[in-house]
Amino acid sequence: MTIFSLALTVLVGILVFVLFFHVSNFLLDHFGKRSSKIFKLENSLRVIIFIAPAFIVLFVFIIYPVFETIRLSFYDKIGREFLGWSNYAWAIKDPDFRRSILNNFGWLLIVPTLSTFFGLVIANLADRIWWGTIAKSIIFMPMAISFVGAGVIWKFIYDYRGPGDEQIGLLNAIVVALGFEPQAWLTIPIWNNLFLMAIMIWIQTGLALVIFSAALRSIPSETLDAARIDGASELKIFWSIIIPYLQQTILVIWTIITILVLKVFDIIYAMTNGQWQTEVLANLMYDWMFRGGGDSGRGSVLAFCIMIGVIPILGWNLYQHRKEQKV
Amino acid sequence: MKLIKLIVSVLTLSIFTSSFGNASSAYTGPDLSGESLTILGPWMAPEDESFRDVISIFENATGATVEYGGSDEFEQIINIDCQAGSPPDIAVFPQPGLAANIAATGCLKPLGPDVESLVKSNYAAAQSWIDLSTYKDESGFDKFYGVFYRVNVKSLVWYSPDNFEDNGYEVPSSMEELLALTDQMAADGNTPWCIGLGSGGATGWPATDWMEDIMLRTHSPTVYDQWVSNDMKFNDPRVLEAMDFFGSIALNDSYVNGGAKAVATTDFRDAPNGLFTSPAECMMHRQASFIPAFFPEGLEAGVDYDFFYFPAYADKDLGKPVLGGGTVLTATNMNRVTTEFMKFLMHPEAHERFMEKGGFLTPHTGVDTSKYASDTFRGLHEILQQATTFRFDGSDLMPGWVGAGSFWTGMVDYTNGKSAQEVADAIQASWEAGE
Repeated sequence: MTIFSLALTVLVGILVFVLFFHVSNFLLDHFGKRSSKIFKLENSLRVIIFIAPAFIVLFVFIIYPVFETIRLSFYDKIGREFLGWSNYAWAIKDPDFRRSILNNFGWLLIVPTLSTFFGLVIANLADRIWWGTIAKSIIFMPMAISFVGAGVIWKFIYDYRGPGDEQIGLLNAIVVALGFEPQAWLTIPIWNNLFLMAIMIWIQTGLALVIFSAALRSIPSETLDAARIDGASELKIFWSIIIPYLQQTILVIWTIITILVLKVFDIIYAMTNGQWQTEVLANLMYDWMFRGGGDSGRGSVLAFCIMIGVIPILGWNLYQHRKEQKV
Repeated sequence: MKLIKLIVSVLTLSIFTSSFGNASSAYTGPDLSGESLTILGPWMAPEDESFRDVISIFENATGATVEYGGSDEFEQIINIDCQAGSPPDIAVFPQPGLAANIAATGCLKPLGPDVESLVKSNYAAAQSWIDLSTYKDESGFDKFYGVFYRVNVKSLVWYSPDNFEDNGYEVPSSMEELLALTDQMAADGNTPWCIGLGSGGATGWPATDWMEDIMLRTHSPTVYDQWVSNDMKFNDPRVLEAMDFFGSIALNDSYVNGGAKAVATTDFRDAPNGLFTSPAECMMHRQASFIPAFFPEGLEAGVDYDFFYFPAYADKDLGKPVLGGGTVLTATNMNRVTTEFMKFLMHPEAHERFMEKGGFLTPHTGVDTSKYASDTFRGLHEILQQATTFRFDGSDLMPGWVGAGSFWTGMVDYTNGKSAQEVADAIQASWEAGE
């Protein structure tokens, strides 16, 4: 019953849109033929009519929420009383906020760099061995796991039991087998951030790897052969031919992962919930927005900060993309 | 003579029928066919089945249709629904503090004197329940907003009777005895306590329950109330003292399973498992009445595990305080069917049906306790009814950003080595910053 009514809704929706385009197009054609004077007007009208539905959707789901978030960031908990800049003043003074900014910077520097680096190196090496494809498939697999799922898996890797007990966490089992004391990894400040980043790197290396593998094929083999004949070492080829050829791809992958990292939430939420100084902006925003009655003012301030962080990277990415297309 | 006999027999008969009739009187409501009601709450499988069963009594008696939806993100959803202007007719709050926040926005409607007087005449310690569901409305006036339904008792220590017997330990009846027992266990080479604070996004809450129980055992209920309302600052020496009391157990490597480091990282659902391993990893576990749901499967209440009241100091004149929690049902409109449902909740049948299913405790004085699914719950029911002081889970009453925020994270920081002073200062600062 529900599936049927859902299908019906989808069908009706599609029909309405088809009708909308056809009818409006027909009307325009009909009136357009009568006089050529309004041809220009007609043409621009046609553009508006065809763009309108997409623009309305874009407006309702993206543009309006952005401005509503900015508006709410100046209001109180429930968005009723105007507070001016006080939510922003709170954020600047809040130690958790500062901690999150610092951590986010750490994530931004380390995760995209290492994921891209590992992806590039592994893509190169895997091409030279017969079991390279198998290795690549295995490294790519984490991409199919959700961040929360990955969090749960790694929670077991970092699991801690008392020194006398049997360690069920992989890392502690190794540490104990080597004769050291087990550690509660996720509770050691600063280091625990790196342990959390490892999860993201583990997932994203697969993405970088697959794209680099494809890009490597685009390097003309003549160039490589010529270099080899001239006696260039493999390392020299890597630095002087492969890297310059893949420059654009490297930048694209780096920005994709950077944007992903800026809004990192699931891993932190599932593993530490920002405790032990692992707080990041997205998790802090969720906390303020929804926990314990919620505070839409402060939540919006944090959401706005994330947006401010994403925009330059996104803009730069678009700029690069355009430049590439022109070439 | 005959007359007297007759009077006596009539009297006995009427006493008999009235008591009998009271226990088995089925709920009858007005005809509400065609009306419908939506309820949103935090209960998910398997608990929601029990609640739906309770609802079916109402549906059968009145002809109204009631739809219950459960979500573990209730706290977020109710916020969003209220702001969107499409809240459910009845919302089931796990935290009165949150209900108070929402009441202040005008989204909830007061239940009125009829329901209030029903609570007054049916609940043990009724005034404390009414106080807990009296919040300020939009204009700042105190109004009665909710009916507590399904409560739990938190002042409990779970143990394995076999372990106690094997080691010759006695169930302690005072805090002094409990602390002596803890020492003795550690001296015998046993680990006295299992403590786990892990709970995903809510990590830290079990420690807040410890704090509340300790506050109630070291200071008067008035001090507790002042603490909860922040009339007494969070960094008051009395609070620091309670935190250090908790630390004297949780931060002592020989008192807790896995050592102090394991406290914050162990999930609260896994923590009690240590009671049932062989050899036992710990002897005692302080946790609320719902915890048996997370015990390993196949264990029998009263045989494999049992509980005792987390005792009070014998030399402090503070009575027998009981810490508890509960869910409160509130309404977002007061139409006929909502009002009738609230009245229905005061009928013993609405409680007995859930009691039969298990996992349900009630302060209702008119229920037939033989309906409880197990002796464990009859025992809990007694603890609840005999409490000289009943106090609600303080962290659930504090403002959300403290009670479900900085208090949780603060306790985690404390078990991770920060000083009580540092932690309490930070919590107090966050309390003030949120206002």
